[in-house]
Amino acid sequence: MTRALAIRLVIAALVVVAVVRRRWRRRPRRDQPVATRSDARASSHANRSVVLLVATREIRQRLRGRVLKVSTLVIMLAVVAAIVLPTIRSHTSSRVRLAVVAGAPASIDALAARTATALGLHLRVSTVTTTSAGKADLTTNRVDLVVTDHSNVIVARAPSPTDTSPAAQFVRDLANELGTARAVAAAGLTPAQADALAHAAPVTITALSGSGRRHLVDPTSIIGIILTFVLLSQYDQWILTGVMEEKSSRVIEVLLATVKPLQLIAGKVLGIGAVALAQGTLIVTTALVAASAVGSSILHGTAPWVLASSLLWLVLGYVFYSWVFAAAGSMAERMDQAQSLVFPLTVPLIVAYVYALSTASSGNASLLFKVLAYFPPTALFAMPTLVGLHAVSVGPFLASVAIDLVGTYLIAQVAATVYRRAILRTGGRVRWRDLTRTR
Amino acid sequence: MVTSGLVLSGLRRRFGDLVALRDLSFDVAGGVVTGFLGPNGAGKTTTMRAVFGLTDLDGGSITWNGRPVDATVRQRFGYMPEERGLYPTMRVGDQVEYLGQLHGLSSLDARRSTQQWLERLGIADRAQDRVEDLSHGNQQRVQLASALVHEPDLLVLDEPLAGLDPTGIDDIGAVLVEQARLGRGVLFSSHQLDQVEDLCEQVVIIDHGQLVVRGTVDELASAGPPRWRVRVDGDRDGSWAASLPGVTVSEVRGGEVRLVLDPGTDSSAVLAAASRVGRVTEFSLQRRRMSEVFREAVR
Repeated sequence: MTRALAIRLVIAALVVVAVVRRRWRRRPRRDQPVATRSDARASSHANRSVVLLVATREIRQRLRGRVLKVSTLVIMLAVVAAIVLPTIRSHTSSRVRLAVVAGAPASIDALAARTATALGLHLRVSTVTTTSAGKADLTTNRVDLVVTDHSNVIVARAPSPTDTSPAAQFVRDLANELGTARAVAAAGLTPAQADALAHAAPVTITALSGSGRRHLVDPTSIIGIILTFVLLSQYDQWILTGVMEEKSSRVIEVLLATVKPLQLIAGKVLGIGAVALAQGTLIVTTALVAASAVGSSILHGTAPWVLASSLLWLVLGYVFYSWVFAAAGSMAERMDQAQSLVFPLTVPLIVAYVYALSTASSGNASLLFKVLAYFPPTALFAMPTLVGLHAVSVGPFLASVAIDLVGTYLIAQVAATVYRRAILRTGGRVRWRDLTRTR
Repeated sequence: MVTSGLVLSGLRRRFGDLVALRDLSFDVAGGVVTGFLGPNGAGKTTTMRAVFGLTDLDGGSITWNGRPVDATVRQRFGYMPEERGLYPTMRVGDQVEYLGQLHGLSSLDARRSTQQWLERLGIADRAQDRVEDLSHGNQQRVQLASALVHEPDLLVLDEPLAGLDPTGIDDIGAVLVEQARLGRGVLFSSHQLDQVEDLCEQVVIIDHGQLVVRGTVDELASAGPPRWRVRVDGDRDGSWAASLPGVTVSEVRGGEVRLVLDPGTDSSAVLAAASRVGRVTEFSLQRRRMSEVFREAVR
């Protein structure tokens, strides 16, 4: 996508927002008298104040509850584990311990060192007096392999042909190298000839078409996708149960006697959103601190941008879906009713989550996946994944954000209407056709 | 035309085929406790919800001191809905304070007023408890405190006495009367007609969505034919009076028979009939009770 197209998209989005906003403001309201200008200003101030009050209550209630504390702790531990354990494992698996039986040719050490360097392994070589002593060290896991001479490599367990771990690779490569050295020696080549043979340059590869672009798998993206899904599910569940609790406990009638429906729902979205942002920031900060402490690869390259982008899209995704869940909550009085309403609405969310995980794992983004990055219900997973794959630039990224904001505005209008018409209907699940009638 | 206080004019509301309100008009003056009566399904709750914009009207208007009731005006109203509405897991004090703030009180004023009302209603020691841990009666008190915390100009209470023990009824009744004495309008619905008679100065009775009776308790009690209250030893059902010509049994309660005599019917003949059943311990002329006013209005 070109920069000019991205700019055109942003401008188009802004025009749509302006038009919808003007139409919405012109719409007459049944319960509102004509207000003077000063009344309107006072009303606007009161609106903000009420929304903040509702938001503050939501924040206090969440902070008092155990759910937030426990979930934050569990997620932080999981994130730290996901960063620290692979790093520790990678440090452990990058080491290989070789025992050479006394009397073996000295060239073995050089061959082993060259093989280890090629695989990025740290090699530690020790000498054992006999083959039996070497086998004993293998049995007690003091060494990884024993070499007696150019003809024999002994390991505790034969590496499987499908085992791609560096240690297994080292055993196979060292065996090949020793075999080659033995063959060279048997052929009677001079050291110079043997060296030329060992360092032969490959021939040029000429391709008729360019190779498919394949990016490396980005673990940061995968962590971001999983975190976004887990956190978003939690926050939207809070919205759903919060709205449902107000409806089923009938407190909604007391609230709506003094507060407008839109103020109430906006306060709830804002309050839970503030908690979500704080929790998300805390988790990302924890991830960065943990990564910095253990020297994890998630701090390298564009990984910090991927994390920042995941956090941004977590917030954008939350705001988008919170309206959907609030509307669903207003139509139900029990959790089973709410779940059956919510499920079809969250199908795009689940599809996008699975698709994003698969794309981040494969390293290849299909055309369809790129299109989904501009579709508000799926952009929250698709766009950060594209960032992780270096498959998107700033312009298209901002265009996607703008489209998402427009989509959120439109979905909020629909959800607010549903909420207003459904929240005071009690005595069972509200059906879609009921929403066409006045309350 | 009355313009002060709450004025409901020509309210109309239909739910499908059911007409809930049909040209209902009445007013609620400040400084007066007004009882709002009617059989189940008469439209009382719909009317109260309409005052708070909780149900849409097909027609009619509602004003407060001559101004259409909108969100700003409603800030000065207190409401207690029929189905009690409180956050079950929120602490009592926090809940009342929050609702006070939603009605425009500052945080400090809301806290101060909450403390005062919880003390006044005898639940100050439960301020830190969750609402769901309270008894029904105490939850009712919390609900009333929530309606009163912002010192509203008008209180609208849907069945505030339902399910309360006599002490609870006395406490809440005293608060309603006290609020009216402070010049506030109080409109409450109830099926406990004796309490209505004790607490209210004015009564509005509706049936099938329309006004059937309206007036002060004194006016309504004095209007219509007087009642003869008769007590006869050993008589519990007043069956002896049912067959007397020109006599209608208005009410039988606790051994007391209340009779309405047609014009021209001789009361001494009734007394003689009662004496034939047993020793007459009471035979006096009484005003109409509210229960009798109600029955005769919605018959």
